[in-house]
Amino acid sequence: MNKLRLGFFKYSCCMGCSYFFAYVHKHVPEVLASFDFVFIKLLSRKGIPEGPFDIALVEGTITEAWQVDELKMIREQSKKLFAVGSCAVIGGIPAIKATTPELEIEKRVYKNLSSIHSIKPHAVDAYVKVDGYIRGCPPAERDLYEALTSVLTGRKPDFPQYSVCIECKLKGNLCVLIADNMPCMGPVTNAGCGALCPSMNRACYSCFGPMKQANAPALAKKFKAMGISRDDIIRKFTEFGADTIEFRKAVETVYED
Amino acid sequence: MTGERTFQKFKRLIPKKAFLLWLDSLKKDYKLIGPVKTGNHAVFKEVDSSEELFMEYGTTMLSPGKLFLYKPNEELFRFAMNGKITIDEIAPIAEKQVIVGVHPCDVNAILYLDRIFLRTFKDTHYEARRKNTVIISLNCARVSENCFCSSVGAGPFLHAASGYDMLLTDFENEYLVEIKSREAEELFGLEGRVAGRDEMRVKAEKEKSMQGKFTKTINVSGLDNIFAENMEHPVWQQTAEEKCLSCANCVMVCPTCFCYDLRDEMSMDLKTVTRYRCFDACQDIRFAEVHGGNFRQRRAARLRQFVTHKLDQTNQYGVSATVGCGRCITWCPTGIDLTEITKEIQRYEPA
Repeated sequence: MNKLRLGFFKYSCCMGCSYFFAYVHKHVPEVLASFDFVFIKLLSRKGIPEGPFDIALVEGTITEAWQVDELKMIREQSKKLFAVGSCAVIGGIPAIKATTPELEIEKRVYKNLSSIHSIKPHAVDAYVKVDGYIRGCPPAERDLYEALTSVLTGRKPDFPQYSVCIECKLKGNLCVLIADNMPCMGPVTNAGCGALCPSMNRACYSCFGPMKQANAPALAKKFKAMGISRDDIIRKFTEFGADTIEFRKAVETVYED
Repeated sequence: MTGERTFQKFKRLIPKKAFLLWLDSLKKDYKLIGPVKTGNHAVFKEVDSSEELFMEYGTTMLSPGKLFLYKPNEELFRFAMNGKITIDEIAPIAEKQVIVGVHPCDVNAILYLDRIFLRTFKDTHYEARRKNTVIISLNCARVSENCFCSSVGAGPFLHAASGYDMLLTDFENEYLVEIKSREAEELFGLEGRVAGRDEMRVKAEKEKSMQGKFTKTINVSGLDNIFAENMEHPVWQQTAEEKCLSCANCVMVCPTCFCYDLRDEMSMDLKTVTRYRCFDACQDIRFAEVHGGNFRQRRAARLRQFVTHKLDQTNQYGVSATVGCGRCITWCPTGIDLTEITKEIQRYEPA
């Protein structure tokens, strides 16, 4: 079988997804056997991605105009394009600034703004159509393989769309939200991590972002009733998901009260 | 599990210490599973010694039936594709186990699961485990805040005739031990005071006093029709908007929720596929996704599905699917209470 042409693109992020993909996960040799790494920014010095690609993996939030242009070009050159990691999927950490005016944020960080050309941060799917979401920070290993094997076998990938609570209960963890009164984001967060934090007796902080149709305002109300301060509730819903409709609604609810 | 042959259904009073020692003696042939205290809660898990058991527990988060009989995750078979497809079946694992301290609601829940996995279509994995499991039930000695088993006839004392092995009732320093299966009769070697009419009267009094302690109740009569006539009652939409998170905690902790999903995981070299089964949940937005659409796209529809399946579908298996354990209320992050939803609908009179 001919190897499939793979490109891994990086925009505003920590490059942790590329690192995870290229070095850390369980099946690096098998992946190398099936895919030609045509372009991986982390591994190459030359900066020009040459298409076409059978599969494009995109990490990072879109925060600059040039990224939009490149992303559109990659989309046109790729059969399948997956958003990888919370930044590309939901906006992630770089989208923390999404709720504040650009100039205010820029002035807070930089003295000289002459070289700053940033735009409002958005997830990849705000600019191009996406064939699937490999969520997480770092991305879910299982979902990464699911994307790769789906491309290799030509089937539709199957990613979980349910809450972290389901994974948490399957593991038999005692609920930290009810039993320990911790402000856990699990009920509104998309699964995929295997309920990592609750398994360590910590509250979920929603690094995977909201699940589809999440009722975030109802959880925000619950947090309020638990005595969590307004600012802390807003931080919970804007740490990774500030640019998501679901979590924006929660922030609105808290402001309205 | 209950044998077909007759056996002696004796009843004896056994000092608690002696009973626990007898449990320890089973450990050479059986895995011993029971309630263990962790923090302010209890969980069912395997113990090394009966000293770890916490028999005075309230309600556990997960029911023993859905931990040790119907497994959260189970590999069913693997298949390999090298030109032709070869199937590698995974034989059912039938380790002998004793589950002790199972409350009446949870025994009734296991009997409900039996209807699903042992009737029309026998599930070999479930069946193997069920046959190799000794269930020792314990009548409740306290009522938790969200218990409503007395309203649905599933507790606080167990009245099922068969399907479990022994029944314990707390008699202060002793257990009233009732033998309910042939296997239990053969296993149970302890001699004790034979329980007669007096002891059974004490037991009945205990049950009566328990019945009076329930604060949560539900009237299930006629619920089938009441729900059917109120599919668009405002309580569904209102609860879905204000409270329901679609997190599926209710389904996951429910001892009778039996829906499962079959999933395939392909190895990265594309040579082998593992098919496994795991719990599914009607609150998952993809649960009702079929070709061409999703017939429970709305959160309210998913919430309604859970509540009505628990309370109105006596037609499905001839019994109510709820055992009144109240877990779905306790472990709901926003405290949705299906008894309250039901009352709201029962109060409602169309104009």
